[in-house]
Amino acid sequence: MIEVKSISKEFISPKKYPGLKGAVKGLFSTEKVKKLAVDDISFSIADGEIVGYIGSNGAGKSTTIKMMTGILRPTRGECLIDGINPATDRMANAARIGVVFGQRTQLWWDLPLSESYTILKEIYNVSDEDYKKQLAFLNETLGLEEFFDKTVRTLSLGQRMRADLGAALIHNPKVLYLDEPTIGLDLVVKDKIREAIHEINQKYKTTVILTTHDIEDIEKLCSRIIVIDKGRKIYDGTLADLKETYGTTRKISIKTEDFPGIGKVRAALSSSLNNGNKEPVGDNELELNFNPDESRLEISFDKNHVEVSDVISSLIRIITVKDIKIQETELASIVKDIYNHNLGANGPEGGGR
Amino acid sequence: MIRHFMHTYLPFASNELKRNLAYKGAFYLFIVCDLMEVFISYYLWMAIYQSSGKGTLGGLSKNEMVVYVIMVFITSTIIMQSISRTVSRDVVKGNIAMTLIKPVDYRISLISGQVGNLIYHFIVPSLFVWIFLEVYKVTVLGEPLVSPGRAALYLISICLSFLIYVLFDFCFGMVAFFTTYIFGLSMAKEVLLSFLTGRLIPISFFPEAFRKVFEYLPFESMVYSPVMIYLGKYSVRETLFVIGRQAAWVIILYLLGSFIWKKVTNRLIVLGG
Amino acid sequence: MKRIKRYLRLYRVLVSQFIKTIMQSKVDFFIGLLGFFMTQAAGIAFLYLVFEQIPDLHGWSFSQLLFIYGFAQIPRGIDHLFTDNIWLVAWWMVIDGDFDRYLLRPMNLFFQVISEKLQPDALGELLVGTILICVSASNGILTIDAVHILLFLVSVIAGAFIYTSIKLFFSTIAFWVKSSGPFLQVAYNMAEFAKYPTEIYGKAIRFLITWVIPFGFVAYLPAGYFIGQHSALSTIGVECVIAVVFFVIAYRFFIYGSKCYESAGN
Repeated sequence: MIEVKSISKEFISPKKYPGLKGAVKGLFSTEKVKKLAVDDISFSIADGEIVGYIGSNGAGKSTTIKMMTGILRPTRGECLIDGINPATDRMANAARIGVVFGQRTQLWWDLPLSESYTILKEIYNVSDEDYKKQLAFLNETLGLEEFFDKTVRTLSLGQRMRADLGAALIHNPKVLYLDEPTIGLDLVVKDKIREAIHEINQKYKTTVILTTHDIEDIEKLCSRIIVIDKGRKIYDGTLADLKETYGTTRKISIKTEDFPGIGKVRAALSSSLNNGNKEPVGDNELELNFNPDESRLEISFDKNHVEVSDVISSLIRIITVKDIKIQETELASIVKDIYNHNLGANGPEGGGR
Repeated sequence: MIRHFMHTYLPFASNELKRNLAYKGAFYLFIVCDLMEVFISYYLWMAIYQSSGKGTLGGLSKNEMVVYVIMVFITSTIIMQSISRTVSRDVVKGNIAMTLIKPVDYRISLISGQVGNLIYHFIVPSLFVWIFLEVYKVTVLGEPLVSPGRAALYLISICLSFLIYVLFDFCFGMVAFFTTYIFGLSMAKEVLLSFLTGRLIPISFFPEAFRKVFEYLPFESMVYSPVMIYLGKYSVRETLFVIGRQAAWVIILYLLGSFIWKKVTNRLIVLGG
Repeated sequence: MKRIKRYLRLYRVLVSQFIKTIMQSKVDFFIGLLGFFMTQAAGIAFLYLVFEQIPDLHGWSFSQLLFIYGFAQIPRGIDHLFTDNIWLVAWWMVIDGDFDRYLLRPMNLFFQVISEKLQPDALGELLVGTILICVSASNGILTIDAVHILLFLVSVIAGAFIYTSIKLFFSTIAFWVKSSGPFLQVAYNMAEFAKYPTEIYGKAIRFLITWVIPFGFVAYLPAGYFIGQHSALSTIGVECVIAVVFFVIAYRFFIYGSKCYESAGN
């Protein structure tokens, strides 16, 4: 469905200097700054996939989406959306896609929502019959009738987002691009939007590409994610694989009564774990914390180096365990690490494909 | 006291100056726009003098008309630093309420900002055009240089012109309280000003009855009066009277602005907007 | 043919929606109308005051100059009424990234720009123009027959196209410089030259407004035909050719520019 073939986008802007002196200097300067916003990115997406496209602010997410939707033309490379190159055949591409930019509405601000929909029906040349059917479906999934006759300007953010999503779907597009579709919404509306996206994907096999900072969007919707950083693709694969590759930290949390002190536990634990182990576990591979208020001991470690079962069986012998909890790394913290460039540089490229 | 005042309001002026330098491209192009108007009036007046067969029209000789056209450009470029757009935007967007809690006077901070603009416009392009005019006067028109005394009186007069203009413009910006379509209104304001200040045509071309009315309006004091001072059309006594009248307008418009400001902000507090 | 029909239908839908929204603000409408009406009226008052002092200007009488003045307002008003949105492209749409919206819809870009808005302020100009032409007709300085009326319509439409082309061309610069409002303002203001007979200007200016930014062909030159001084071919004929050539250039340039659009946020 979507073929992105090593696209790059370069922006050129005049150099700016700070301060009043700088402003005067700028008068005479013609220096230019080049910025590579997207650097040689390739991927392909199959029919009916929901793909999360994530990365920190300024990583090049929006630039990529804009190239795929035909707003920007790639400096190098090309993309084919259902066989159409948006850079050369903008209108044909525009007729088959739906786009929602969370920060911006494509509705007519001063008109009732119903009128915006009527105009879009004309623009996309939707037949009366199809329009009726689609509107009924959108009403059902997005609950549009609550505010269908209200002026767009007067809609709440949540209503407006639902209205915008509906507007992007009137012509039943093959591909739906969502740029931060849940930004600034409350939890109930977020859920509703996610459900709607899911339903549309199920019903029409619509391919969905969404950028987001909200981890829950990804966890609830995306079977696959692509992570980019500084314009380059650094991960492309399933969510499970991402967790498997990056999320190897485990945290064991134990409620205990007679706590002998961190030092003692650490010493006992190390000797127990290293007993008969060929690769000894270093002190810095185990992170111990004790919270005296809850009398709770927390131990973090990499599960690829230390077996979870070993740690537990050792601990049972050292302290009295009243309650035990094992936590996986949350996706949120994996993503946070990627954003902070802790993982990106040395992480393996392309888990899945 | 004065030091404190400068300390508070000087940053407004320097910020405005910086902003201007950042948009230098647009700035130069607007100068081109205004210069085009000068060209049109110049050629038009030359044609008019040629067709009339008379030496003087409206009390101005052909050479004086050249000086008039250029000095009108210089004067309006320097003094017409509009604040009404900012005022109306703040009124429409409800930022006015925010300005009430700041420890600076809203109107004075806006005017200080425009002082920055005034300085900038005084140098680019006005000073250059002014020097050009004097050189042109001596070499091509064969007229003497302007006397230093007259130039000084002109400079004093345009300082007052500036204050009259911004104080008037402040009142005008407050009109935004009653309509949201400032563009159309600004357009009407521009036209009225170009007519009543003498920018389009010297006031002396108007019929006697109109001129009597104009004497009781502040517009003549913005452009026409300083240019006439520059041209040496007034006696010493008349000059003092004209400058005194300008000062009076500054005070009247200041008080009027305060009055409107109080009305508007009172209403804001009552309405909670 | 089918495409033209579709676009006409779309235009009707889009514009009728827009009219519904402006009907909500009658005060604004009258203020805008007043603003433009006053601007034109001031120009006329200026001419009147000048002609108090002189019998004629380079052989042109007051009533002839009034005709040129009024005639110039009609193409200007038509362009202003239908394509005012081009100004927004020049000033804001590119720099704010609002142009994205047009690129996402399966419609011609130029069509989208002009169908988004009608500018009722233009009625101020059209009103002044019409009044002045009626006055001129009753003064008996115009030849009135079927051919002249037909060519009048042709000339007015061609003139409007020249205005639109110049606006489109200079707003397109925004795709590279982000906001081309000042450029457009300079070019548009050149039209002020065309309110008076071009022979009063120096050679360079005359060349500029005849062939580079051809506002001379919008009013003053075709007006010569209606007053009975020049042939139709040398005035309205050339005007039409210029209108077509300039529009094609401007349109091509606009489409090319849209491909260099960089959106916002970078």
